[in-house]
Amino acid sequence: MDEHLLEINHVSKKFCRRLKRSLFYGIKDVARQTVGLPITTQLRPEEFWATHEVSFKVKPGEIIAVIGANGSGKTTLMRIIAGIYQPTSGEIKYRQGLKVTPIFALNVGLRNEFTGLENMKLKAAIFGMTEAELKRKLDFIIDFSELEYALDTPVGNYSSGMRARLSYSVAIATEPDLFIIDEALAVGDSLFKTKCYEHLGEYVQEKERAVLYVTNRIRKVMALANRVLVMRSGKLIQDAHDAKDALEYYINDIVGDDMTERVKEMKLKKIRHFEM
Amino acid sequence: MWKFFRSIRSWWYLVKQLTQVEIIGMYKKSFLGMAWMFILPILAVIIWVVLNGAGVVNPGETDIPYPAYVLLSTSIWGFFLEAYKSTSNLLTKNGRMLIMSEVPFEPLLMQKIVVHLINFIIPFVVNIIVLLAFGVRFSALALLFPISLVPLLMLGMALGMVVAIFRIIMVDVANLIDEGMKLLMFLTPIVYTPKITSNWLEVIVNYNPLTYLIGFSRDLLTSGTFYMPLQYLVFSGISFILMALSFRFLLKSSSIVLERLINN
Repeated sequence: MDEHLLEINHVSKKFCRRLKRSLFYGIKDVARQTVGLPITTQLRPEEFWATHEVSFKVKPGEIIAVIGANGSGKTTLMRIIAGIYQPTSGEIKYRQGLKVTPIFALNVGLRNEFTGLENMKLKAAIFGMTEAELKRKLDFIIDFSELEYALDTPVGNYSSGMRARLSYSVAIATEPDLFIIDEALAVGDSLFKTKCYEHLGEYVQEKERAVLYVTNRIRKVMALANRVLVMRSGKLIQDAHDAKDALEYYINDIVGDDMTERVKEMKLKKIRHFEM
Repeated sequence: MWKFFRSIRSWWYLVKQLTQVEIIGMYKKSFLGMAWMFILPILAVIIWVVLNGAGVVNPGETDIPYPAYVLLSTSIWGFFLEAYKSTSNLLTKNGRMLIMSEVPFEPLLMQKIVVHLINFIIPFVVNIIVLLAFGVRFSALALLFPISLVPLLMLGMALGMVVAIFRIIMVDVANLIDEGMKLLMFLTPIVYTPKITSNWLEVIVNYNPLTYLIGFSRDLLTSGTFYMPLQYLVFSGISFILMALSFRFLLKSSSIVLERLINN
């Protein structure tokens, strides 16, 4: 593993386009596995590669933005890295004892009829914290979320921004070595977003940590990423350390055909003249 | 099974939090609150007393008053059925959490069992008070009653864990098994006694493991005797083996079926 936190080697994952056929394959695969027979790694009718032969390594200090059009396999790849999906083929090597915290949907597990404080405890448990760990970090969570004034209010009465801040603050309090963020990076109002960017930047420098985040927003890539992965139809087609280059390539060569010249020009201008 | 206990240990705080949230959440919006945990079993007792008084039901000969017999039997049956229900809904009810976070299914399964036990204990204490009022007296062996329920819990979970997988990829089979559970209640001596005279029903009752698993617990509590101890032990052993096999099946198959939850 040398100095890498994570090594992804030729990882592929297939899914089925049709619901009933997918269930049928599910029955077949469960049955084969139960009796000890291998499950096919080849595509069957109606199946497609959600990610195909993806390989890359993650070093400490890296903040990697994963970009790509809808359905390009970004979320599937993040779920495989988080251990939620098993890859169809390929392997992932984690540095020994690597702690991974993934966020795929900030609202998962929140209970509207319970207060902010009760939901912080619940969310901490969902992110795998122990009671003692939460006790140590509760002040940080309250402080970071800026929700002290609303701790006794039911979360059902929170705005969407407040709910997102609550979950996001608990997630970063888990202090993972690898933080996986899918479409939930830097939430809340603009001040809170800036705070999140600054925090993540410092966070990866403090210890041997890295962040992998999925986004299609130019601002979120430019503000934070020191490496960009571009995905298309399940494949990793570019791995660049210059966010500007990667985004320009993405806009010109990947999604450019689907945009009007005016929109394309506007986006490129945003990249070239980006300021925090 | 070791994986199960290791996982529970590292996710214990989640088990605790989810249990609190589920129990408190059930009554959070109700003005009577947790009092419902006592009101519902008292209402159930009243219904059976009224039905018995009206002579609507004719159960055959029982050692203890009929309402007390039915009350106890249905409680024990409910213990088995709820173990099945909560386990069989494990993946579908927690699908979002399982797909959107790193939480494995083991702590969620444990939480379901803990909530199930809490939901069983309170009404059961009410039932014991009613049994005392009906003149039923308990022997010292009745203290073994909670342990005698373990095989029923294991059998309910064993069935539930298999159906949890079916509920995603073979919904028709899961629905059939759910309906089968309703039928199973009438093929088990719960609202009638094992001393039945119908030939075909007698054969089924004799081969039904629940006859022994429920009968043993019931007699242990009410008369301090062991009902068919050999059959009880054999079916207890089978229940344990089935639970271990079902857990392995769930563990191995969960990743294959969970990725199909998105489609559901």
